[in-house]
Amino acid sequence: MKTFASSVIELRQPFENEVVTHPFECGWADEAVFFVDLHDPAEGTSLDLRVQLSADGIRWLDEGTRITTSGSAFARVTHFGGFLRLAGSATDTHGVTTPVTVSVRLALKG
Amino acid sequence: MSPHPSGYFTPLPRVLAADDFDTGMNGWLDLRPNFVAPGFREHSDEIDLIHWGPTMLSSATFAFGGTHGSAQGTYSLKISSRAHAAPADEPPAAGSMGLAIKRLAVPPGARRLRIEALIAYKAEQDRPGLGVNDLRAFGFFVDLQDGEHRYMPGVRYVNAIDGEPVRRWQFYSPTEASDEEWSYGRDGWHKAGIDPQWFGERHADGSTAATTWFDDGHQHLIYNESDDKLNWTPISLTIDLGSRRYERFSAGNRTLTFPDGAHPTWAPAYAEIEGLLNPVFFVESGTDRRVSLFVDSVVISAETEENA
Repeated sequence: MKTFASSVIELRQPFENEVVTHPFECGWADEAVFFVDLHDPAEGTSLDLRVQLSADGIRWLDEGTRITTSGSAFARVTHFGGFLRLAGSATDTHGVTTPVTVSVRLALKG
Repeated sequence: MSPHPSGYFTPLPRVLAADDFDTGMNGWLDLRPNFVAPGFREHSDEIDLIHWGPTMLSSATFAFGGTHGSAQGTYSLKISSRAHAAPADEPPAAGSMGLAIKRLAVPPGARRLRIEALIAYKAEQDRPGLGVNDLRAFGFFVDLQDGEHRYMPGVRYVNAIDGEPVRRWQFYSPTEASDEEWSYGRDGWHKAGIDPQWFGERHADGSTAATTWFDDGHQHLIYNESDDKLNWTPISLTIDLGSRRYERFSAGNRTLTFPDGAHPTWAPAYAEIEGLLNPVFFVESGTDRRVSLFVDSVVISAETEENA
């Protein structure tokens, strides 16, 4: 039977400008799903996040997958090496960066 | 159960759990508050309890050394803080700690309890130099409750304060604080002495309202000479469940001496948790830097009336 672990990496976490999730080690897993929830966003808020991976948990590169949402969304990731995180920002209706409160859950299986 | 017997462990006769993290999280998860308030909010907010760093399975992989692995195999449990800290004499800042808990129950007739583990601790290697003094403290305790008292025996290694080395062990001891003082001025739900890892007045020297320094507690544990080198170090704490007192603590090659009769705060029993046995490991950052406590095999064992 495979191992499964789901971590609530960010729980109702406020971000002022850049949204960056905690570096998460998950080299044991074959597949990952990021679940993202935007809490009480102002109307027109759009959260844009990029999946990033890393060889060392310090220096990050875009993996290619993006999440854009005004509410809740998920992204599937495979073949990611040892570390994962999300990075990006939220914008208002004028395209200006806006503070947001976000929860991020990472479901891992392998 | 670890497939690799280790001479580091000397468990009591009944092994309740032997967690080698090569097989998964083994029931260890982030310690979070009770989300029982309206809107699934946390039940109390004297301090921010919901943003501690997450716990994960780690291969201890670093930029220059590659994968360190664990004491036995590849994976260990990595308990991480976020890159944030409050001064040592203030309540813990949001995210300044990381905590992992496992939730068990006391077996019938248990008289003594032993928690053993192999641990290592690191500052994130995100800047040049040696980060050892950016890690304020780490420790572990057991949340226990019998028919009369809830109590949390445990130890804390105060590694550094304000970037200066301390390198000294303390143990959780009775507090004289009122419940209100214990909860930083909020007369809330928490009883004095419970959750000493984040409640109770903190002082600039690293002491708290419910800690006592070991007389012989100065110890230079092995951080090693770089932020990417780990030395798996054994720790072992034994509790007398009958008297609710400390029996023995060792770290590395040292056995530290408890004062006669030493014990943690004996708080009134809480509802719905009689018989719980919840070991907790934690780490605390002292600066704007993530720090981690790596825990490899954890062995939790007991002696019962029939095998005493």
